[in-house]
Amino acid sequence: MADVTGKSGGSGEIALVSAAERVLENLAELEPELVAAGIFNRQREPVAITSKSPAWSVEAAGLLGALGAGSGEGKLDSAHIALEGGEAFVVSESGLSLVAVTGRFVLASLTSYDMRMALRDAVRSAEVEPASEAENGGPGDA
Amino acid sequence: MLKPHRVVLDKVSSYTEEAAAFMRRRRHHRREFVRIRFQSGAEADLPEGTPEADRITEAARRLIELG
Repeated sequence: MADVTGKSGGSGEIALVSAAERVLENLAELEPELVAAGIFNRQREPVAITSKSPAWSVEAAGLLGALGAGSGEGKLDSAHIALEGGEAFVVSESGLSLVAVTGRFVLASLTSYDMRMALRDAVRSAEVEPASEAENGGPGDA
Repeated sequence: MLKPHRVVLDKVSSYTEEAAAFMRRRRHHRREFVRIRFQSGAEADLPEGTPEADRITEAARRLIELG
Protein backbone atom coordinates (compact mmCIF):
# COMPACT_ATOMS: atom_id res chain seq x y z
CA MET A 1 0.00 0.00 0.00
CA ALA A 2 1.26 3.48 -0.83
CA ASP A 3 2.66 5.88 1.71
CA VAL A 4 0.04 8.63 1.82
CA THR A 5 2.05 10.90 4.08
CA GLY A 6 4.52 11.61 1.31
CA LYS A 7 2.01 13.87 -0.43
CA SER A 8 3.02 17.48 -0.19
CA GLY A 9 0.28 19.73 1.20
CA GLY A 10 -2.73 20.77 -0.86
CA SER A 11 -5.65 18.56 -1.68
CA GLY A 12 -3.87 15.32 -0.72
CA GLU A 13 -3.32 16.52 2.80
CA ILE A 14 -6.86 17.88 3.14
CA ALA A 15 -8.26 14.59 1.85
CA LEU A 16 -6.16 12.68 4.38
CA VAL A 17 -7.26 14.87 7.28
CA SER A 18 -10.96 14.57 6.42
CA ALA A 19 -10.61 10.82 5.84
CA ALA A 20 -8.78 10.45 9.17
CA GLU A 21 -11.48 12.39 11.02
CA ARG A 22 -14.19 10.27 9.42
CA VAL A 23 -12.56 6.92 10.24
CA LEU A 24 -11.95 8.01 13.84
CA GLU A 25 -15.65 8.80 14.18
CA ASN A 26 -16.49 5.37 12.75
CA LEU A 27 -14.01 3.72 15.09
CA ALA A 28 -15.58 5.44 18.09
CA GLU A 29 -18.96 4.02 17.04
CA LEU A 30 -17.49 0.53 16.61
CA GLU A 31 -15.61 0.56 19.91
CA PRO A 32 -17.79 1.52 22.87
CA GLU A 33 -14.78 1.26 25.19
CA LEU A 34 -12.72 3.70 23.13
CA VAL A 35 -11.59 6.66 25.23
CA ALA A 36 -9.55 8.59 22.67
CA ALA A 37 -7.76 7.95 19.40
CA GLY A 38 -5.55 9.73 16.94
CA ILE A 39 -3.90 9.24 13.59
CA PHE A 40 -0.30 10.36 13.20
CA ASN A 41 1.96 10.70 10.19
CA ARG A 42 5.50 9.38 9.82
CA GLN A 43 6.90 12.47 11.56
CA ARG A 44 4.56 11.70 14.50
CA GLU A 45 2.54 14.81 13.82
CA PRO A 46 -1.19 14.48 14.45
CA VAL A 47 -3.39 14.18 11.36
CA ALA A 48 -6.59 13.89 13.39
CA ILE A 49 -7.36 13.21 17.05
CA THR A 50 -10.56 12.73 19.01
CA SER A 51 -9.28 14.01 22.35
CA LYS A 52 -10.01 17.59 23.38
CA SER A 53 -6.83 17.69 25.43
CA PRO A 54 -3.99 19.48 23.62
CA ALA A 55 -1.46 17.36 25.51
CA TRP A 56 -2.92 14.13 24.14
CA SER A 57 -1.18 14.32 20.77
CA VAL A 58 2.12 15.17 22.50
CA GLU A 59 1.84 12.15 24.79
CA ALA A 60 0.74 9.90 21.92
CA ALA A 61 3.73 11.04 19.88
CA GLY A 62 5.87 10.26 22.92
CA LEU A 63 4.43 6.75 23.03
CA LEU A 64 5.16 6.28 19.33
CA GLY A 65 8.71 7.44 19.95
CA ALA A 66 9.13 5.07 22.88
CA LEU A 67 7.76 2.19 20.81
CA GLY A 68 10.08 3.08 17.94
CA ALA A 69 13.04 2.97 20.31
CA GLY A 70 11.77 -0.18 22.02
CA SER A 71 11.33 -2.03 18.74
CA GLY A 72 15.06 -1.89 18.06
CA GLU A 73 15.87 -2.79 14.47
CA GLY A 74 12.50 -4.43 13.82
CA LYS A 75 9.80 -2.41 12.10
CA LEU A 76 6.79 -1.86 14.33
CA ASP A 77 3.50 -3.24 13.05
CA SER A 78 1.36 -2.90 16.16
CA ALA A 79 1.56 -2.72 19.91
CA HIS A 80 -0.69 -3.40 22.86
CA ILE A 81 0.09 -1.97 26.28
CA ALA A 82 -2.16 -3.07 29.13
CA LEU A 83 -2.00 -1.10 32.36
CA GLU A 84 -4.24 -1.04 35.40
CA GLY A 85 -5.97 2.18 34.34
CA GLY A 86 -6.64 1.21 30.74
CA GLU A 87 -5.09 -0.09 27.57
CA ALA A 88 -3.24 1.59 24.71
CA PHE A 89 -3.13 0.24 21.18
CA VAL A 90 -0.95 1.30 18.26
CA VAL A 91 -1.24 0.12 14.67
CA SER A 92 1.14 1.39 11.98
CA GLU A 93 0.66 1.04 8.26
CA SER A 94 1.43 2.99 5.08
CA GLY A 95 3.33 5.68 6.94
CA LEU A 96 0.45 6.34 9.33
CA SER A 97 -0.02 5.26 12.94
CA LEU A 98 -3.28 4.96 14.78
CA VAL A 99 -3.01 5.32 18.55
CA ALA A 100 -6.02 4.44 20.69
CA VAL A 101 -6.73 4.40 24.41
CA THR A 102 -9.48 2.10 25.66
CA GLY A 103 -10.91 0.90 28.92
CA ARG A 104 -9.51 -2.22 30.58
CA PHE A 105 -10.22 -5.75 29.31
CA VAL A 106 -11.34 -4.96 25.77
CA LEU A 107 -11.05 -7.66 23.13
CA ALA A 108 -7.52 -6.90 21.98
CA SER A 109 -7.56 -8.72 18.64
CA LEU A 110 -10.89 -7.19 17.65
CA THR A 111 -9.73 -3.70 18.61
CA SER A 112 -6.49 -4.09 16.64
CA TYR A 113 -8.43 -5.40 13.65
CA ASP A 114 -10.88 -2.47 13.72
CA MET A 115 -7.99 -0.04 14.03
CA ARG A 116 -6.18 -1.60 11.07
CA MET A 117 -9.32 -1.47 8.94
CA ALA A 118 -9.85 2.18 9.96
CA LEU A 119 -6.28 3.03 8.99
CA ARG A 120 -6.62 1.29 5.62
CA ASP A 121 -9.90 3.09 5.04
CA ALA A 122 -8.21 6.45 5.69
CA VAL A 123 -5.33 5.59 3.36
CA ARG A 124 -7.70 4.38 0.62
CA SER A 125 -9.91 7.46 0.93
CA ALA A 126 -6.93 9.82 0.83
CA GLU A 127 -5.65 8.14 -2.32
CA VAL A 128 -8.96 8.63 -4.15
CA GLU A 129 -8.84 11.78 -6.26
CA PRO A 130 -12.07 13.84 -6.28
CA ALA A 131 -12.43 13.43 -10.08
CA SER A 132 -12.24 9.63 -10.02
CA GLU A 133 -14.55 9.55 -7.01
CA ALA A 134 -17.16 11.48 -9.01
CA GLU A 135 -16.79 9.07 -11.92
CA ASN A 136 -17.27 6.04 -9.69
CA GLY A 137 -20.06 7.63 -7.74
CA GLY A 138 -18.14 7.51 -4.47
CA PRO A 139 -15.81 5.05 -2.81
CA GLY A 140 -17.15 1.53 -2.55
CA ASP A 141 -16.95 -0.38 0.70
CA ALA A 142 -15.71 -3.95 0.60
CA MET B 1 -22.28 -42.49 53.09
CA LEU B 2 -19.64 -39.86 53.95
CA LYS B 3 -18.98 -39.09 57.56
CA PRO B 4 -20.29 -35.62 58.57
CA HIS B 5 -16.80 -34.18 59.11
CA ARG B 6 -15.81 -35.28 55.60
CA VAL B 7 -18.68 -33.26 54.14
CA VAL B 8 -17.54 -30.16 56.03
CA LEU B 9 -13.92 -30.70 54.96
CA ASP B 10 -14.94 -31.13 51.30
CA LYS B 11 -16.97 -27.95 51.42
CA VAL B 12 -14.17 -25.98 53.01
CA SER B 13 -11.59 -27.21 50.52
CA SER B 14 -13.97 -26.49 47.67
CA TYR B 15 -14.43 -22.90 48.85
CA THR B 16 -10.67 -22.55 49.30
CA GLU B 17 -10.05 -23.72 45.73
CA GLU B 18 -12.65 -21.25 44.44
CA ALA B 19 -11.00 -18.41 46.34
CA ALA B 20 -7.54 -19.40 45.07
CA ALA B 21 -8.82 -19.53 41.49
CA PHE B 22 -10.41 -16.10 41.91
CA MET B 23 -7.14 -14.66 43.19
CA ARG B 24 -5.21 -16.24 40.29
CA ARG B 25 -7.65 -14.76 37.76
CA ARG B 26 -7.45 -11.37 39.43
CA ARG B 27 -3.66 -11.42 39.44
CA HIS B 28 -3.64 -12.38 35.75
CA HIS B 29 -6.10 -9.63 34.86
CA ARG B 30 -4.15 -7.00 36.76
CA ARG B 31 -0.90 -7.98 35.07
CA GLU B 32 0.59 -5.16 33.05
CA PHE B 33 2.35 -5.94 29.79
CA VAL B 34 3.86 -4.41 26.67
CA ARG B 35 3.31 -6.52 23.57
CA ILE B 36 4.88 -5.54 20.28
CA ARG B 37 4.24 -7.09 16.88
CA PHE B 38 6.75 -6.51 14.10
CA GLN B 39 6.13 -6.26 10.37
CA SER B 40 8.03 -9.55 10.01
CA GLY B 41 5.17 -11.20 11.91
CA ALA B 42 7.23 -11.77 15.04
CA GLU B 43 5.69 -10.82 18.36
CA ALA B 44 7.42 -9.98 21.63
CA ASP B 45 6.35 -9.30 25.18
CA LEU B 46 8.90 -6.83 26.51
CA PRO B 47 10.14 -8.06 29.88
CA GLU B 48 9.11 -5.92 32.84
CA GLY B 49 11.84 -3.78 34.31
CA THR B 50 13.81 -3.28 31.11
CA PRO B 51 14.47 0.38 30.13
CA GLU B 52 12.49 -0.03 26.88
CA ALA B 53 9.45 -1.51 28.61
CA ASP B 54 9.58 1.12 31.37
CA ARG B 55 9.75 3.96 28.86
CA ILE B 56 6.83 2.59 26.85
CA THR B 57 4.81 1.89 29.99
CA GLU B 58 5.35 5.40 31.32
CA ALA B 59 4.40 6.98 28.00
CA ALA B 60 1.27 4.82 27.82
CA ARG B 61 0.39 5.60 31.44
CA ARG B 62 0.54 9.34 30.80
CA LEU B 63 -1.60 8.93 27.70
CA ILE B 64 -4.18 6.78 29.51
CA GLU B 65 -4.35 9.26 32.40
CA LEU B 66 -5.17 12.06 29.95
CA GLY B 67 -8.10 10.04 28.69
